[in-house]
Parts: sequence; C-alpha cells; structure tokens
Amino acid sequence: MNIINWITRLFLIVATIVLLYPFVWNLLASFKSNTEFLTDPFSFPQALHLDNYVRAFQKSKMGSYFLNSIFLVVLSTAILVIFVVPIAYVLTRFKFWGSKMILNIYMACIFLQASYIMVPLFIQVNSFGMLDNRGMLGLIYAVLQFPFAIFVLSGFLRSVPRDYEEAAKIDGCGNTGVLVRIIAPLAKPGIVTVCMLAAMGFWNEYPLALVLIQTDSKKTLPVGLANLFEVQRYATDWSALFAALILVLIPTILLYVVGQKQLLQGISAGGIKG
Amino acid sequence: MSEMQLTGVAPRNRKLKTKSTKTKNPKLFIAVCTIPALLLTLVFMIIPTFRAFVMSFTDATGMSDENKFIFLDNYKYMFQDEMFLKALSNTFKLMLVVPVVTLAFGLVLAFLLTQTKLKERGFYRTVFFFPSIISLTVVGIIWSFVFHPNMGILNNILSSIGLDQLTMTWLGDSRTALWCVAVTLIWQAVGYYMVMYIAAIDGISADVFESATIDGAGYFRKLVSITIPLLKEIIGITFVLSLAGTINLSFIVVTIMTGGGPAGGTTVLLHYMYTQGFQNANFGYAMAIAIFTLAFAFVLSFLSRLLTNRAEG
Repeated sequence: MNIINWITRLFLIVATIVLLYPFVWNLLASFKSNTEFLTDPFSFPQALHLDNYVRAFQKSKMGSYFLNSIFLVVLSTAILVIFVVPIAYVLTRFKFWGSKMILNIYMACIFLQASYIMVPLFIQVNSFGMLDNRGMLGLIYAVLQFPFAIFVLSGFLRSVPRDYEEAAKIDGCGNTGVLVRIIAPLAKPGIVTVCMLAAMGFWNEYPLALVLIQTDSKKTLPVGLANLFEVQRYATDWSALFAALILVLIPTILLYVVGQKQLLQGISAGGIKG
Repeated sequence: MSEMQLTGVAPRNRKLKTKSTKTKNPKLFIAVCTIPALLLTLVFMIIPTFRAFVMSFTDATGMSDENKFIFLDNYKYMFQDEMFLKALSNTFKLMLVVPVVTLAFGLVLAFLLTQTKLKERGFYRTVFFFPSIISLTVVGIIWSFVFHPNMGILNNILSSIGLDQLTMTWLGDSRTALWCVAVTLIWQAVGYYMVMYIAAIDGISADVFESATIDGAGYFRKLVSITIPLLKEIIGITFVLSLAGTINLSFIVVTIMTGGGPAGGTTVLLHYMYTQGFQNANFGYAMAIAIFTLAFAFVLSFLSRLLTNRAEG
C-alpha cells in the first residue's frame, strides 16, 4: 500500500514540476540581465535586475495596456451584472410566454464564442463607426458573456428559497424592490462567482481585442504582449519581455489567491449541473 | 422567519391601491428585465452570426462594395483549397488528441487527489488549476520559449541528459509544430477539468469505495470498475466541452506561437478564417469558413445538450 502512496507522491511532484516550472523559469529570467540570460538561461540570477521591469513598463507601453485592460474589465463586469441579474431572476421566478424559449436560446448561445464571429462583428462595428472604441469593446465583451452568466445565475437562483420574496411581497414590496433589496443580496455568492469567472475571461481575452482595437495606446494587455513578443523575437531585450509577462500574471495571481474558492465552486457547479 | 409575520396591519390599506397596478406590473417588470438583454444579444451575437451566414454566399471582399451572390461557390472552393484542407486536417488532428489526453490526465490526477487522502491535496489542487486561469496569450509566449531551439527548456533538458540528437527546432519543423500546439493546449486545460472531476468524484458516496476495499479491490481496480462507470455523465460533458474548447483556443495558441506556420503546418480552421478575413480581406470566403466551423461546433453543442438533459433527467 505504501509503495502506491510513494509512487503517487512522485507522480504528483512530477506533475507539479511540469505545470509550474515554466512560470518559475520565466520569473527567474525576468530578473536576469540580457547578457546573463543569453549566456545561461537556466542559472539563478546573480542579482535582481529590477530595471527589466522598469523597461517593460516604459519601453513597451505596459502602463497603457494595463490601464486599458483594467478599464475594460471593470466596465464589462458592471454591464454584465446590470443586465444579467434581472433577466436571470425573471427567467427563474416568473412563468411567462417565451421564458423557456429564451432560456434555451441562451443555453445554445453559450457555444457561440467570439472567435467564430470575429469577422462579422468587425464589419458590423465598423459600420457603426465604432472601431477602435474601448467602450464598445467592453459592451461586446459583456454581451458575449450573457449566455454563460445567465446559465450560472439562474441555476444558482433556483436553489434560493422563495420565502423571502413572498414575505416581502406581502409587505407591499414591488417587483423592483424585491429584485434590488432581496434577490441581489441573496444572490451575492452566485453574482460574485460569475463576476470572477467573467473578469478572468475579460482580462485574458485576445481575438476581439486584436480585431476591434487598432491604435496601439488603446490596446489591451494580451494584444500588447503578443505584439511585444513579435517585436522581441528579433530584437534582444528578452528580459524586459519576461518582466512584462510576470507583470501581467500578477493581477491574475492575486485574484486567484483571493477568490480561489468561488472560482473553483463555479467551475465545479458548471461542470456537474451541466 | 417569524419576524416577517408581525409586520403589522397598517400597510394593508396601501395594498388595496397597489393591487390593481400589481397585476399590470409583472408584465412591465418582466419586459424591462429581459428586453434590453435580449436586444443586446440580438445585435451582437445573433445578427453577426446571421450576417456571416448570408455573406458566406457572396463574394464580398474588403475592396469593393459590390457583393454578388455566388451561392455555394465559396463552399465548393473551400474543399478544393489546399490550405483549407490543411487547416481542417490540423484542426481534426488536434481534436483527436487534445481532448482525450487532457481528460485522461485530468481524470488520473483527480482520482489520485481524491482517493489517496493526501494531506497536501488542497495544495495540489490549487497548483494544478493555476495554468488554466492564465491568459492563453501568456501561456503561448512562455511555451514558445520552452520550445525555443537555443534558449528553450525542452532542448536544454534533452542535452543535459545526453539526448543531444533529439534537439531540434520544435516550432519550426512541420513534423512537430502541431504537436507542440497540442501539448500547450493540454498543459493549459488539464487542471480545469481535473477540478470538475474532483467535484464529481467527491459526489460519489464513500461507502461504495469502502466496500470495494473490503472486497480487496486495489486502486487501479477501483478506478476502472467504480469511478469511470459512475462518472460517465461528466466525462461525456467534459469531452464535448474540451472538443469545443480546442477548436476555439487553437486560434489563440497558433496565432501566437507559430502564426500558422511553418508553411501551413499548424494552421487551424479559425486561424485560416482570420488570415482570409483580415489579411486577404476575402470576407465572403472567410465567412464561409466561419460558418463551416460554427456548424461543426454547433453539432457538438447539440450533442452536449443531449447529454446534459440526460444527466438531469
């Protein structure tokens, strides 16, 4: 029995190394100077070259990319919550003509992802004259998340007991009041999970940001990074690139550390409830 | 809940006034809650899809404004287009390999973490899930360095254990480039599905496993005869998710790591659509590719809904 335990441990340790080493390597490389890296990419850095990070920020406009991404995440998440909470509430609590059909439409739309409709979206946004507009991108981000968010939230709301709403209604509370004062607070765990999952997606999104934003100073982090990578393939300032990568990882890591439980719950629930 | 019962007689009078508006209100309230979201979805998801569908039957390009209907010509051309066929075959190869390997590893890891009752279980779960929340862009860049011919981790490991002759330009060689993309996709997704499996396994009653242990079943036996059959539902669901995910995410990985090269060695359906649409401005043709890919993925979504319904029922 014990042998199996040790084999298991070994396997898990190997898995950990495989899954984490690329990051560790990246982190170490980000602290080396360029010459250090080119001579030996695998040694420990001799000193902490923080100037790599400074260059990453200045030379490559990381600052603007950062701000753009943050702006988009905040905007998109806000839009998402404002639109999705009411419709999820109504779809689960009220039986009206079309409610089942709407739910089915959204379920089917979960698989309609940005990559497929890149081209027509581009043409459409162009015809609105709203290309290169970060607000528009934020709106589109949010709308594309509606299906999944509605799916998760309505699943969540179904398990919320109706007693509170009924009691509130007996007290003369109107529908809007119930939504704002009863449902919203009760659904907070579900809303938080949806927000975290969505925010992660918005922060990391690439295809739409690539296609709908042209001006370099308006680009988001993933796109900016990819451009940096392209440029640096032939240039030699890789250390700054590694530093930039680490900088991009930091918010994600922070969010992960803080919100891990909710994230994992959301994924598990999404998987089981199908 | 008892405090709710005593909220007094006084409001009752006000209710008489609101009762008539209450019967009207649900409809207005419902409309206000649903119509904005539905409108937005219509404009930004349904109409673009429809537009892609229609445009795929035209010869629209970014150059001219005249679109002629050429019906199925785009589709006919597609299947004679060498690059398209290459993209199709590459995508297909990825779909054969990536989901199976990803889910297999995810399942094994989930099983190990739930069955062996290690104290470090939480730590491993956190660590293994981590790569799947990282921006795929970052993953692509990091793995480009793993495969780098001179600075790369892979070649370095190979030479340090004496396998110098196996080192090569992984991403530059058309024999290996696609599999590098596959490895990257697998690496990124294993933790994600592992978490789902852990939740599902945790849902299987412990008694089942205990009686199996009493009957003398070893770890492997338990995996094969208990876990896998009971997990059939979730395995089915994750399989479809992984298929759809592979089609979708392959675009990002390919764009960043190889740009579709070398010589079309890693181009995938969505990437080819992108080049046709944004580099060649062949909008009509690009839409045809998009519709094809979408239909492909739609069939998968239909399958997944069937599985889900069966799971709930």
